[in-house]
Amino acid sequence: MRQSMKRIQLFLLATLIVLAFALVGCSNGASSSKKGVTTITFWNNATGTGKDALDAVIKQFNKTHSKIQVKSTYVASNESSDDKLLTAVTGGNPPDISLFDRFKVASWANQGSLTDLSEYAKKDGITKDKYYPFAWDESSYNGKLYAIPISTDARLLYYNKDEFKKAGLDPNKPPTTIDELEADADKLTIKKGSRFQQLGFAPWLGQGWLYTWGWAFGGDFYNKDTDKVTLDNPQVVKALQWEQDWAKTHNVEDITGFQDSAGSDAQDPFLTGQISMQVNVTGTVEQIKKFKPDLNYGVAPIPTPTGKDFTTWSGGFSLIIPKGAKHPKQAWEFLKYLGSPEGQKLYCGTSKGDLSVIDSVNQDLFKDDPIMMQFVDLLKTSHNRPSISQGQLLWNELDSAVDKAIHGKGDPKSLLEKANKKVNDALAKDKAN
Amino acid sequence: MARTEKAISKTSVNPRSVPKKKTKIKKGYAGWLFASPWIIGLLLFYALPVVSSLYFSFTTYSILQPGDFIGFKNYSDLIHDHLFWKSIGNTVYFAVIFVPLSIIFGVALAMMLNMRVKGMSIYRTVFFLPTLVPQVALAVLWMWLLNPGFGLVNGMLDKIGISGPAWLGSETWSKPSLIFMSLWGIGQAVVIYLAGLGDISNEYYEAAEVDGANWFQRTFYITLPLLTPVIFYNLVMGVIGAFQQFTLPYTLTQGSGKPNNSLTFYVSYLYDNGFKYFKMGYASAMAWILFIIIMILTLLIFWSSKRWVHYQGK
Repeated sequence: MRQSMKRIQLFLLATLIVLAFALVGCSNGASSSKKGVTTITFWNNATGTGKDALDAVIKQFNKTHSKIQVKSTYVASNESSDDKLLTAVTGGNPPDISLFDRFKVASWANQGSLTDLSEYAKKDGITKDKYYPFAWDESSYNGKLYAIPISTDARLLYYNKDEFKKAGLDPNKPPTTIDELEADADKLTIKKGSRFQQLGFAPWLGQGWLYTWGWAFGGDFYNKDTDKVTLDNPQVVKALQWEQDWAKTHNVEDITGFQDSAGSDAQDPFLTGQISMQVNVTGTVEQIKKFKPDLNYGVAPIPTPTGKDFTTWSGGFSLIIPKGAKHPKQAWEFLKYLGSPEGQKLYCGTSKGDLSVIDSVNQDLFKDDPIMMQFVDLLKTSHNRPSISQGQLLWNELDSAVDKAIHGKGDPKSLLEKANKKVNDALAKDKAN
Repeated sequence: MARTEKAISKTSVNPRSVPKKKTKIKKGYAGWLFASPWIIGLLLFYALPVVSSLYFSFTTYSILQPGDFIGFKNYSDLIHDHLFWKSIGNTVYFAVIFVPLSIIFGVALAMMLNMRVKGMSIYRTVFFLPTLVPQVALAVLWMWLLNPGFGLVNGMLDKIGISGPAWLGSETWSKPSLIFMSLWGIGQAVVIYLAGLGDISNEYYEAAEVDGANWFQRTFYITLPLLTPVIFYNLVMGVIGAFQQFTLPYTLTQGSGKPNNSLTFYVSYLYDNGFKYFKMGYASAMAWILFIIIMILTLLIFWSSKRWVHYQGK
């Protein structure tokens, strides 16, 4: 009897030891104060030049802040999901800072998993007018600030100047209206049977999301006052109608075949000359420099029906402090630094391809780069995807509406009305909770 | 351990010195102790999530927030969810065509690979190799093979004068394309069929040959009936696997299920709800519906097996 008691004790002891180890393992990084120095953990998915840029900023920050040391850790994530951060926040043991796609800010803030930064910002005099309006709006939700924007991009029409010349078009006169775009595209297209040897243009390829065309047609997707999405906006419907007509007249199945054939990086159809015009994001400039530096191309504002009021939209990254972070105060110092003109200059100057969220920094960094300046010029009036709790659902619904419209599965108006209802219903549900 | 053994030997020598009941407890005690890591793991990481997912399916749980209890609302919402039905349709389409095809091709391949030809181990390896390719790599590989413009498949069709479809880009052909791809990874099943074929006693064939049965008769009256236990196993596993199809379509379409949601499979939609829309309660409800569907199908197959599965020696 006594022996078995002893054994139970031994068993309990062993269990305790295992548990103790497990608990210690969970709280790593939290207790590393050496002479009042706080180490804060920073999760990010940066690689390549993006990582170089972050490393440069962290190095500079650590040098100038003796009491705070930032430790960077690579953690995989993407634009629409961030499973590891999700698990860490749920488990109550998140990093102090995370690199975060601004697209996700509203939905995560709605879930109460981001730290409200409004008070910090107020205290340190950080206000909307320091940044591009879209960058601030996308970092906020319900009037509160949840992220500090650190980089951005924009969309423009890329066109191949050599192919313009070959087709008898003026390489210095890219299309400005929708009609010109269509006429040029037809001249640039070389088709053999059902295969395109060279595709002039297709609205939905590259970054030709419905956001791109809806805004280009003068529509809008969200009403701030009613806090409802407006996918049934007549101009948005018109944009989708135009895409559907394009699909009909240019045989969508053939274009889809072309689209599926499209590679990425060096095999990108615009880089290989298989497509003459395409709406693309800022990063394509760096991609061309890296894989096809001799490509003779130009960029131009995305055509609009009138040939005036050019616009674009922007996304990009930000820094957030997850709910439950151990050192929010110290983390804020790093957010503030990377969001300041000094940090921005170092970051965007090192990463290249990224545009800054501060106009003066861009003017300074890119003044000698005519292509990048075309992006910078449009940033002041650039749009952002609505900062709503159902941003991902809205994205998927728009994507699916375009897919259905171009394949002739319904008329644009009813497709968009249906999607509109679905998203607004989901928004209403979020508000009720 | 040694002490336990001693206790056992003591019992056998002198049953009265140690009461029998106590030995049993002692014996069990060591066993439980050694099995405890597994038991704790099973309870903590398997039973607990399963049970809690049942509870979550009645709530608006979002992973980040506990949510409210809403009864059967998630289930009734699912009934009105158009995409839910579409995803079921896609999954059933895939299962109904893929599973029988995989059995027919699998058995045929196994029978060919069971012939006595020189270099058979090489052929067997060749057919097994594709199963070693990870699903994501398989998706990328087939995206190129089925590439409408420059793909090998359409290139060959072109040579014989057929202009191939857009495969993954076409709503009609996207699911058949997926079935082709999945059939490519049939090697695992073939190995099991081969083992089943090896298990069939040669006596049956000898007797049949004496009776003058031809190849056709031997195949349909000996090989196939005696292979039914293995076919039965592969059928059950195939149905379960087909309903859980996720990696291939999700990788192929980057989660969009294009064109026109024709590649939105049940588990893809479940994943989107759980991890992209923060609707884990809704996703849990979907998971339980899937569990019930698979359970019913498996029970049906088991029930029917009495009629068509023949075991050797019975």
